[in-house]
Amino acid sequence: MRRRLLVGLTAVSVLTAATACGSSDSSGSDKAAESGGTTTVKVGLIPIVDVAPLYLGQQKGIYSKHGLKLEITTAQGGAAIVPGVASGQFQFGFSNVTSLMVAQSNNVPVKAVANAIASTGVEGKDFSGLTVKQDSPIKSPKDLEGKKVAINTLKNINETAVRASVRKAGGDPDKVKFVELAFDQMPAALDSGQIDAAQVVEPALATIKSQGGRVIASPLVDVAPDLTVAMYFTSTQYAQQNPEVVKKFQAATAEALAYADAHPDEARQVVTTYTKIPAAVLEKVTLPKWPAEPNRASIEALMKLGEEDGLFKSTPDLDKLLP
Amino acid sequence: MKGQNAALGAAGLAAFLALGEAVPRLGLVKEAYFPPTSRIADALLDEVADSAFWTALGDTLTGWALGLAIASCAGIVVGVLISVVPHLREATASTIEFLRPIPSVALIPLAVLLYGSELRSVLLLVVYASFWQVLIQVLYGVQDVDPVAEETARSYGLGTWARIRHVLWPTALPYVMTGVRLAAAVALILAITAELIIGAPGLGKRIGVAQTSQAVPEMYALIVVTGVLGLLINVGARTVERRALAWHQSVRGEVAV
Repeated sequence: MRRRLLVGLTAVSVLTAATACGSSDSSGSDKAAESGGTTTVKVGLIPIVDVAPLYLGQQKGIYSKHGLKLEITTAQGGAAIVPGVASGQFQFGFSNVTSLMVAQSNNVPVKAVANAIASTGVEGKDFSGLTVKQDSPIKSPKDLEGKKVAINTLKNINETAVRASVRKAGGDPDKVKFVELAFDQMPAALDSGQIDAAQVVEPALATIKSQGGRVIASPLVDVAPDLTVAMYFTSTQYAQQNPEVVKKFQAATAEALAYADAHPDEARQVVTTYTKIPAAVLEKVTLPKWPAEPNRASIEALMKLGEEDGLFKSTPDLDKLLP
Repeated sequence: MKGQNAALGAAGLAAFLALGEAVPRLGLVKEAYFPPTSRIADALLDEVADSAFWTALGDTLTGWALGLAIASCAGIVVGVLISVVPHLREATASTIEFLRPIPSVALIPLAVLLYGSELRSVLLLVVYASFWQVLIQVLYGVQDVDPVAEETARSYGLGTWARIRHVLWPTALPYVMTGVRLAAAVALILAITAELIIGAPGLGKRIGVAQTSQAVPEMYALIVVTGVLGLLINVGARTVERRALAWHQSVRGEVAV
């Protein structure tokens, strides 16, 4: 996950080269083989709780009802997913909204097609949280000035969110020292005192809580109420050439998201089929919200904050990016 | 002598495992991040009982074996060709020296663009990394050919093919075997790295999933498996080397006259 932006940017350069050579005209459409009215699409995902609705939708026959068969490939992060989708190896992928906006402002041909996850919007009860060690003197994000805060990727959604929390608490985000660390390494780093605070997501959040760690803020909630955090996306080329498949994917995913949101126990259950999250941890995991539609106002808020932080080369064109 | 060595080796390993058990139990490191040996062993047993584990092991071995085979064949053929054809060695030296130090993992974005997260992506990285190991050894090996033997073969009227077969190949073979042995280890490292980062099926991907799932004992169990795999591959490669070079003085242990 932490390599998402970095490799996203690498992908930008590689892609530009590939496009210049004209090699990207071997679009993904030929790979989405149709058989008996069912289209098989390859989907690149990160094996985390967030993508449970797709597995559940597949299991419950929601996708087949819409004439789709998902061929799910999991990768450790955007390292494989962003270039994979842009080059047509996967038809759809999962990415956080800031990464998509960064890609869009860099002219990487991606288009968000369906909602993926939203924050729960409940302060202190989100699937992600800004955490400190049990005995830490830090009580509020304002106290983070001059302290070391771990985020999974610098200059991405979590930095924007933590900066929003610090600002909201009356602190100066420029005085916070951000360090890059993978989510799964944060509990140990926090425990050993290498970092003063960590912006983590599940299941690392549950691990930190079980060690007595405290959540001092919910940065994603501070960005906007009900923030759309991640979305499923495709390449603009694929979207243009296969509007029918994209429509089917949108409809089926919206249905799968609604189903997962209404059946959290089944969602928890399906997570065990593609991750190795121990049962004891999974029980304590806070699930994200899975609304069927993205919340545009929240994405605009995220974009404004991102612009303030200087994440984008040019203002992302949300009309082009969002469905 | 041999029995004593084995006993000492076993004792050393046992001491290491005991240390692995004691250090977390004594609280020197947190059990949550460095589980004691017994918990790793438990997780290992669970893994072995899971059919998905064996599929992953098979995927890793497939990537390793195919990649190594392609790299070895290509390395030998290209190496001999470069050495035999006049001026080719000089013409290619700078290119080889430029390409060789590029870390294979730097090609990950390219591999994903070309092949997605399939076996072919793994192969690209494995072959790129192992090819140079073999090629460089072949080049050294060919350089080592005794000029007197070469001239003798020439004056007896042996053709190019016969000289390769009877003079060049026997001289180069020990080098080739060294190259293949090194390549075997490198190929395993790259196969697992590729799976871990790209997400191609195999042990590496399983390690990644365990890591992000906070399933720490399972992660270490899988790492142990890759370690054992590396060990077996090295032992296997040495055995093959000894067999293939049974006639060679380095293996026969005779003093060259």
